[in-house]
Amino acid sequence: MRNDRADKADVLQGTLILLVLRTLEALGPLHGYGIARRIEQISKDVLQLNQGTLYPALLRMEQDGWISSKWGASEKNRKAKFYSITAAGRKRLAKETEDWRRMSSTIERFVGFDPKRLAEERG
Amino acid sequence: MSWATVVAARLRGLFEHKRLERELDDEVRFHLEMQIEDNRRTGMNPAEARYAAMRSFGGLEPMKETYRERRTFALLETTVQDLRYAVRILRKSPGFTMTAVAVLALAIGANTAMFSVLNAVLLRPLPYQSPEQLAMLWTEDPTQNFREGRSALGDIEQWRSQSRSFADMATFDAVSTFLTGADGVEQIVGASISPNLLPLLGVRPVLGRSFSTEEAEQRQRLVLIGYRFWQARFGGSHNALGATLVLNGSPCHIIGILPADFKIARLDADVWEPHTSRRAVRGAETWFVVGRLRPTVTFHQAQAEMSAVARRLNDQLPAAERNRAISVVPLSLYMVGPQSRLGLWMLGGTVFCVFLIAAANVTSLSLARSVARAREMAVRTALGASAGRIMRQLLTEGVLLASISGLAGTLLASGGVDLIRAFGPANLPRLNEVSLDLRVLGWAVAISLLAGILVGLSPAIAALRRDPHPSGEEGGRSVSGGAGTRRIRRALVVADFALAIVLLAGAGLLVRSWWYVNSIDPGFRPEGVLLMELSAPMTFSIPAKQHFYDRVLETIQAVPGVQNAGVIGELFIDNNREQVVTVERDNGTVSERLQFGREEVSAYFFKAIGTPLLRGRSFSIGDGPDTPPVTIINDAMARRSWPGHDPVGKRFKLGPRDSGQPWYTVVGVVADMRRQGPEREPFPQMFVSLAQSPPPRNMDLFIRTSSDDPMAMAGALRAAVHRVEKNAPVSEVALLEQQFGTYLAQRRFQTSLLIGFSIVALLMAAVGIYGLIQYSIATRTQEIGIRMAVGAEAGQIFRMILGEGLKLSLTGLMIGLLGALWLGQAGSSLLFGVTSRDPLTFIAVSLLLIAVAVAACCFPARRAMKIEPIVALRQE
Repeated sequence: MRNDRADKADVLQGTLILLVLRTLEALGPLHGYGIARRIEQISKDVLQLNQGTLYPALLRMEQDGWISSKWGASEKNRKAKFYSITAAGRKRLAKETEDWRRMSSTIERFVGFDPKRLAEERG
Repeated sequence: MSWATVVAARLRGLFEHKRLERELDDEVRFHLEMQIEDNRRTGMNPAEARYAAMRSFGGLEPMKETYRERRTFALLETTVQDLRYAVRILRKSPGFTMTAVAVLALAIGANTAMFSVLNAVLLRPLPYQSPEQLAMLWTEDPTQNFREGRSALGDIEQWRSQSRSFADMATFDAVSTFLTGADGVEQIVGASISPNLLPLLGVRPVLGRSFSTEEAEQRQRLVLIGYRFWQARFGGSHNALGATLVLNGSPCHIIGILPADFKIARLDADVWEPHTSRRAVRGAETWFVVGRLRPTVTFHQAQAEMSAVARRLNDQLPAAERNRAISVVPLSLYMVGPQSRLGLWMLGGTVFCVFLIAAANVTSLSLARSVARAREMAVRTALGASAGRIMRQLLTEGVLLASISGLAGTLLASGGVDLIRAFGPANLPRLNEVSLDLRVLGWAVAISLLAGILVGLSPAIAALRRDPHPSGEEGGRSVSGGAGTRRIRRALVVADFALAIVLLAGAGLLVRSWWYVNSIDPGFRPEGVLLMELSAPMTFSIPAKQHFYDRVLETIQAVPGVQNAGVIGELFIDNNREQVVTVERDNGTVSERLQFGREEVSAYFFKAIGTPLLRGRSFSIGDGPDTPPVTIINDAMARRSWPGHDPVGKRFKLGPRDSGQPWYTVVGVVADMRRQGPEREPFPQMFVSLAQSPPPRNMDLFIRTSSDDPMAMAGALRAAVHRVEKNAPVSEVALLEQQFGTYLAQRRFQTSLLIGFSIVALLMAAVGIYGLIQYSIATRTQEIGIRMAVGAEAGQIFRMILGEGLKLSLTGLMIGLLGALWLGQAGSSLLFGVTSRDPLTFIAVSLLLIAVAVAACCFPARRAMKIEPIVALRQE
């Protein structure tokens, strides 16, 4: 039971890292809520993000040195923790992006290849 | 690239737990507030907005848990969790916890205290430079079992010139010393050392300097003082250097102060004087010899070389005297002799056995608890705890329990160390160095951990073996009570009894030895006898000194309560002496080397000390300086030199046939006195009259009193001596019984500790079997009920229960007896008068053990008898 949950989190985490790094690269320093909003905005309803899972992922990325954090004042002058991407993070983002492209094109090739035969095998 | 930063971040997480937790809260709160505000903007009411925000955030606590786990090390976090849980569990059952902690703390405390003794006496290196190169050299005579004899300066000179194994050899001895101060003369401990001794040991004075060889040869009156003496007499002042002490009547200059706790081998002194290489100090013709091996030489090689030297030297001697040997013994082995070593290891092993028994009992207790906790474990397993997790939890509990015990035990040990230093055997060397140092604390930690693992592991194993489901269903009150657990507990009880019988047998053998030692006739009657050491003033001539002793004895005799008084050169001798003796027999004259003693005594000495005269007569007024020398010998010499003949009237002399010594005529034979303690066999001795021989430097005065409290007379006796001569040096007054008793100090220490420990072991074994039987009855109530319902009689039930207990204790007894027989062999040199297989002892302790086991099983068995079948069957 516990293991199942962990597996799902890991799958999500892989993409989450890409999404977070991309967001921070595009928008500059941002707090957690901002990152979550941005991911939701971009993905609309396709990605159902449990916002809470964002924070352990941010911690992990910070420990890995891809992002850094700093306490600052939000737009409404409230104390918030702002995350920004680091040089290592940019490198990581490039690699993640390339991995993702390669992966998605591979999947695409599978998905696009003779759908009828796949359907027959199922039937 | 990242593991180091992760580790760093997580380490930080470990230490900044509170702050990071607050920050996480702040961050989450900010997130939710922002979300709520945005939600309100879309037109929700506050409650809706809040609910929606919470929903989109997801589970708050699981997120935090993941976050925390990631923030620091999961292992440490769970360990902390386990610890918290363990604390809660232990607090929930204070009865178990207190019992377990008390038992383990006592065991760990006793072990730590004993280890601190082993550490100080046996393990710590001696406080000299490269102590492993130091050796004692002895003159011995294997044919006469003469060991550890001192050596003459002439011999030592030969050894030095003929051997290559030793870098140097030095000599030393204790000399009786009287210090003249402002308030009269008092006795202090003096040592005479060769000037090369301190450099040989690598010891330098803390203040001032040592003496040079030239100064020693010129017989300059220089002296080094001990640290304690310096503190006591000079208050540690630097003015001590250059000050003058009047020692034995002549002034000596203090040139240096020796380091605190400085000792040479077993010799500890207040003042240290140099002696020359040529002339020995009067009264001490032979010396202790210590040598330093050259760096690459082993003791074995040195011994081989010295044996060759001894053979060469023997060749120059008359045939009858060619039995001398030289033995090389590592200094550390001499400091603490084989007997003391064995005794200490035995005691160390004993307390370790007690520790094992204690751990076994606590393990048994916690196993019994683990059955009751089976339900808890089942629930935890059902909730997803892995086997490893549960095992870790139980081990954590065990280690926590043991750590508390270890802490308490160490506190106990520090008290125990004080007790040992105060009441331990005074003649055990280096006992004053006993302390809790790092090694001892390490030992305490090690055995605490061992206890923790022992106590935690078996419940863990039992928990893993158990199928969680049935006990979960039965609510932890399973009828069998966990067969695996019971098996382990039975094995523990068997082990308890096996260890207990080993200790009991050892204690029994030592007690028997104690009886034998105490039934030994010392050759004198020490009850009510006082002794003091005194010296005639150094300035007196020989006749004046003899006259001084006569007058002292007369005056003392006149003191009310005094029955008899006598003096002897020295009663108790701590070192063996040897002598070539030429004896006239009916069939010719024979010279031989003997272990031999010669003492000057006053006329009524034997009467005062209570040594019976076996043949012939005592010294009389007729034996004067102008009559032929007469002597009284002891029975050992009579048996040795004139076997089967009456020695009275026979003659002998000291030295070889052609020596210039006078012939002594034997006029009497006295019983053997045990002058080296009750355990050492008497050896040939001669006594000469004080009237015919110059008195030694100082003498032992013995006073037989008729008083019930002889010590009350001490002041009167000292005053009596001072009436004769105002400045006569006199030592403190002591009881002969007490003085003689110090020879048994180590035996008393060993015996009483072993008795104590074996009683503890026996009680623990009894408690262990009692607990097990009690528990077994509790879990078998139904079975017993059924048995009684179908017609079993109370007596049968009683026998069944008793039989169960006896089977276990007898199994333990058998195993333990085998162990005791085997160990007894190794420890047989500690025994006196009994063999290590003494049947009486073994039968007695076995019966004792069985009696205790029966008694321990009787109480629960009687209760089992009274079980009402109906009530029993109605249970559950």
